[in-house]
Amino acid sequence: MPESQIELIAHLARRAGFGATREELEEYGKIGYEGTVDKLLETSSPQWMSEYLIRRYHPDESSMLAGLSGLEAWLYRMITTDAPLLEKMTLFWHGIFATGYPKVLNAKPLSDQIRMFKKYAMGDFRDLLVEMARDPAMIIWLDNQQNHKDSINENFGRELLELFSMGVGNYTEDDVKECARAFTGWTIGNCEYMELRSARDSDWPYGRISWHYEFDAQDHDDGEKEFLGRKGNFNGEDIVEIICEQEATARFIARHIYHFFVADEPPVPQWPYQPPRDPEAINQIVQAYFDSNYDIKSVMKFVFNSDFFKSEDCWYEKVKSPAELVTGVMRLTESVDRPQYEHSSRQLRMQYMGQTLSNPPSVEGWDGGTTWIDTGALVERMNFASEELGKLETPGSKELFSKIAFEGNGEVEADRIIDICLKHLGTINVKDDTRSKLVDYASENGVIRVIDQEIDDVGKEKIAGVVKLIASTPEFQRA
Amino acid sequence: MATKGLEQGQFLRYVRTVGMTTMRGRGFYYPIDSAMSNDGGRLYVLSRSFERAVSDSMRVTMLNEDGEYFGVFGSAGIGDGQFRWPCGIAVNDQNRVFVTDEYLNRVSVFNESGEFLKHWGSEGEMEGMLNGPSGIVFDRDNNVLIADSRNHRIQKFTSDGEFVKSFGEYGSGDGCLNLPWGLGVNQEGEIFVADWGNDRIQRFTPNGEFVAKYGSPGREEGEFTRPAGVIVNQEGYIYVADWGNERVQVLSPDGEFVQKIRGQATNSEWAEDFLGVNVEEAGARKRANLEPDIEYFNDDPHEESSHIEKLFWGPVSLMLDAEDRLFITETNRHRIQVFERDN
Repeated sequence: MPESQIELIAHLARRAGFGATREELEEYGKIGYEGTVDKLLETSSPQWMSEYLIRRYHPDESSMLAGLSGLEAWLYRMITTDAPLLEKMTLFWHGIFATGYPKVLNAKPLSDQIRMFKKYAMGDFRDLLVEMARDPAMIIWLDNQQNHKDSINENFGRELLELFSMGVGNYTEDDVKECARAFTGWTIGNCEYMELRSARDSDWPYGRISWHYEFDAQDHDDGEKEFLGRKGNFNGEDIVEIICEQEATARFIARHIYHFFVADEPPVPQWPYQPPRDPEAINQIVQAYFDSNYDIKSVMKFVFNSDFFKSEDCWYEKVKSPAELVTGVMRLTESVDRPQYEHSSRQLRMQYMGQTLSNPPSVEGWDGGTTWIDTGALVERMNFASEELGKLETPGSKELFSKIAFEGNGEVEADRIIDICLKHLGTINVKDDTRSKLVDYASENGVIRVIDQEIDDVGKEKIAGVVKLIASTPEFQRA
Repeated sequence: MATKGLEQGQFLRYVRTVGMTTMRGRGFYYPIDSAMSNDGGRLYVLSRSFERAVSDSMRVTMLNEDGEYFGVFGSAGIGDGQFRWPCGIAVNDQNRVFVTDEYLNRVSVFNESGEFLKHWGSEGEMEGMLNGPSGIVFDRDNNVLIADSRNHRIQKFTSDGEFVKSFGEYGSGDGCLNLPWGLGVNQEGEIFVADWGNDRIQRFTPNGEFVAKYGSPGREEGEFTRPAGVIVNQEGYIYVADWGNERVQVLSPDGEFVQKIRGQATNSEWAEDFLGVNVEEAGARKRANLEPDIEYFNDDPHEESSHIEKLFWGPVSLMLDAEDRLFITETNRHRIQVFERDN
């Protein structure tokens, strides 16, 4: 397998997953690029750290009194999964259907929502929208429990059209009202008690109680509605069907997919006023959406095999989100093989970088792109990656040392050290100027020697220094 | 066999619920194990809490069977008398309270009032060293048995922490263990191990020789999913905290299935106190249907238990009093359900 193919697969692994070790890339290389796409899309029986193990050692990740425990469990899954695309798709939908703890105030329904996204992430978009509308956390987040037959609350109906499917400018205010009418009666069970507990952040007397969807037929407006030019006694499912038929929906989702998987676009609020970076790519994704009858898995297969995705023009054109960065770094260390006391601090580091999962800044989710980078966040990103990857005792570091020791006894040239380290960290192509500085660093203050297939501690520290520097490069911080 | 012909519900009968969720003071916060003083007058409930919670949420709550509260001791930290991942608690014949910590790899010892006395233990794989000590129980000779979980073995120490012996190794064969958790000892001094990762209970002689194994992976009667606790009553009946199945199972002295219970909690005295002063919440609770008919996301009982409050959620540890009442500690519901013999 030519190195250029491995590099292309590395690009795919960064976008369709969280990056990959050199060993994983070489395994992928055996089945080729398209085979790797198919393998990543095959997510029927994903494996990750056992839920029982997580629950045993972290009881709050089992029942979730605290707001962040669900995302800690999710972070374990992202780090340890053998189906990274499924987790990436879940992150993708979470970013669009952003639902936050400060209003829901019950971490279990939020965690259940993530689980639902995972189940429907790569299926029929209609199913995902319907499940999203039935999701108890979403119902509370957008007040649909207050959307009554005789007194509609437009919040969910409006966001369904504006933020979840079509985008501003593609529907009327009357469509919003009719949409809201169709979702009256879509509420949660024991609404009064559950709302009150949330309002009080009450976990008494016996901890949190999970929420469940309930359809209140008495509170549902089953009268005739006119929505996007169609008339009928529409329920929520009918509304979703009509929404999914719209070209605006296809374009909106296509641009989200491009933004998340191909190259950074401006924040969503600018989309009505700023054309896509690659309009032809959007057209092609729209076509794939309709050709597949709204099947997201098929759309993603098209995207990953497209020329615009594979083009080197878009390599490293995306800034990794904090979730992607933290997950990718921990996967490279290969050190998370069991529940760890220290795990809690990782999501805190993610917060310091500007992202708390299940706590988006607004209903619009995270803007992404260069908004991830400010002075404080950048330092935190570089520090985290450097600290974790620079640890000498992780399996990932030991693997790196053994690769360098495999060069044979004697002095290992600085240029060669950089080559090995860049490959080890996911086969990263750095700019010539960056590479030159890395080589300078590896050349300074003595050489790295292999004696009897071992590197001494000074040499290991120096290699760790190289790794820390690479972790700070723009190419590592991007995908 | 004594249990032939028994119907469901004939062996154990629900009595009441003790405790409630509180981050501090009177209550529990992810209780993970419980123990009883020699005269039965004092219960010690160990709250695991979690990493980001306030320090004093990680504690031992002292109370009696009727819910009378005596105070707390312990907190989160690495100093004397503090915990990081507290996991097991037991009382010796001197009423000293022993607490295992599966992160700090040590055993902390307190007097009956909760004053710190000492701690012992160090991390490692060598005999006498610990890697993830979890379940703890005293044998008939007042030696302490510890489930040295990540070393996949049981170790025996004197009450002063001097190593006596160990048995078990990683594996799934007879006598082998996989992340063992809870421990029990019967009248003859035989040792029962909740062999968590192997979904079974194993029975050993007092010297650690394999005697028998009970159960296999699954959710049917007599099968287990990640059992966390085991205790044997004076007649030899074996009670198992079938943690991953969110239930407790009763086995005959020969290991035959007798009964399974899923829990039927009611408001404890402490819960009534809370609801008594939070009348708005009490009113809404009264109007709610706490046993709704739901189509669950999956068939994991964990899911059902997260929705139906009365059911066990995280039944982890078992304790018996002198009247053969069974105290079932539930981590995720922060309470203890009490059952008694029905025949």
